[in-house]
Amino acid sequence: MPASNENTKKQAVVGSRSAAEERAQSEAIFNSIGDGAIATDEFGKITRINPTALRILGYKEKEIIGKWFPSAVINVDENGVPLSLIDRPITRAFLTGATVSDRAYFQRKNGTRLAVSITVAPIIHNNRPIGAIEVFRDITLELKIDRMKSEFISLASHQLRTPLSAIKTYAHMLADGYMGEILPLQRRSLETIIGATDRMNELISTLLNITRIESGSIAIIPKTTNLVKLTEEVIKGLRHIANDKHIDVKLKYSAPAILKTDSLILKEVLSNLLSNALKYTPEQGSVTIKLTGRNQHLTISVHDTGFGIPKHSQQQIFTKFFRAPNVIKHETSGTGLGLYLVKGLVTRLGGKVWFESEENKGSTFYISLPK
Amino acid sequence: MANVLIVEDDQDLNAAYTIILKKEGHDVESAFNGQEALKLLKKFNPELILLDLLMPIMGGLEFLQNYSLKEQHQDVKVLIFTNMENSPEVTEAYKLGAHRCIIKSWTAPQNLARVVDDALSTKATDSAA
Repeated sequence: MPASNENTKKQAVVGSRSAAEERAQSEAIFNSIGDGAIATDEFGKITRINPTALRILGYKEKEIIGKWFPSAVINVDENGVPLSLIDRPITRAFLTGATVSDRAYFQRKNGTRLAVSITVAPIIHNNRPIGAIEVFRDITLELKIDRMKSEFISLASHQLRTPLSAIKTYAHMLADGYMGEILPLQRRSLETIIGATDRMNELISTLLNITRIESGSIAIIPKTTNLVKLTEEVIKGLRHIANDKHIDVKLKYSAPAILKTDSLILKEVLSNLLSNALKYTPEQGSVTIKLTGRNQHLTISVHDTGFGIPKHSQQQIFTKFFRAPNVIKHETSGTGLGLYLVKGLVTRLGGKVWFESEENKGSTFYISLPK
Repeated sequence: MANVLIVEDDQDLNAAYTIILKKEGHDVESAFNGQEALKLLKKFNPELILLDLLMPIMGGLEFLQNYSLKEQHQDVKVLIFTNMENSPEVTEAYKLGAHRCIIKSWTAPQNLARVVDDALSTKATDSAA
């Protein structure tokens, strides 16, 4: 045999050994993943399932290989109702060609439900999906801890508020002369106590609402609401800040603004936006609140002539704990939770929130709500 | 001026609300939990009840169920006085016929007197609005 033929054969053996080794290696990786993993072909038929997935679902390998994924592995919602095909993460991954992550419940072979976090990645070859890999993990404990955390914060906040209510009520009673005449200096001291309890209350409210939004347990109680009256109440509540900084606050509306919404939550949203506008607008500036109605929606805009949001910070403005660097210089107090809360609350009310801003010129925040 | 029943387990707040509402000229009785309130209601007919939700022995929701507010006492206004805003308990209280919910820690004495007057001047049919 010529030497060149001999070399080609050797290379082929080496090549095929490499392919076999690669297959064995990928098999080992797949089987050793700590999370459940299921692979399908382009038609959604299960081609591989790892031991963790078998253990979680309660199946044997031969019962599931070759079956159509959506009918072999049932996804249900929190009430046990099967998810429609279009809502399943694997369908969305196939349709979009992108990795999809979601939470869902699996119905196991024995009929019990299990909360899982799912990530599905389509396998793309030559620009078309040739299969998908679904990786999932049991999140029962995570959900339980989440619930416990929410209950704890809710109870702790409530317990914190009870003594605060007594402090505030008695301070008011003293200031209002329920216990006899007081001197102007004593009144100012009582007003300081009342102001401090209000700040503490705001913090507790923010914490409570964020916990409830994140756990999905915030209760919405829609009632017919006069938005003009509500906005006037919000302005009245923050008037002292505007007066201290000589900021001109205007309310503009062209027609009665009546909508069915949760007035307490909307009041919280407006208070947050107005207090931000006042906080981040220099003295002698102005804040304008406009109420406009169109078709089935009402839009509220809060415009200020304040420091504005730098372009590079605009994408993060609704994220938790974020504070733009330019405002930290001017106003050191603040939690970075206000706009995160606003977005969460407006979303729960079925509305949208967005903004326009230019550094050193001001910002306008808009809220659109269904009537 | 009206008969008002205060149901609040915190002694300091209960005393404060009593002072404020008496000063407004109302005839005020107070209880420290739902069970005490039910006992008092055998001899006292309030036009308005100021009700806390979280109380020992019998909380506000259980009180509302026992008192059959919607079925037997439609003319009595119940103001929920709580610190549990936006909570499922508040939603439940509305279902059981509560007129309005007020956040304790936000309410100054003048506001308390005002919301009591507002509630008393509202007709029973307006309660759900």
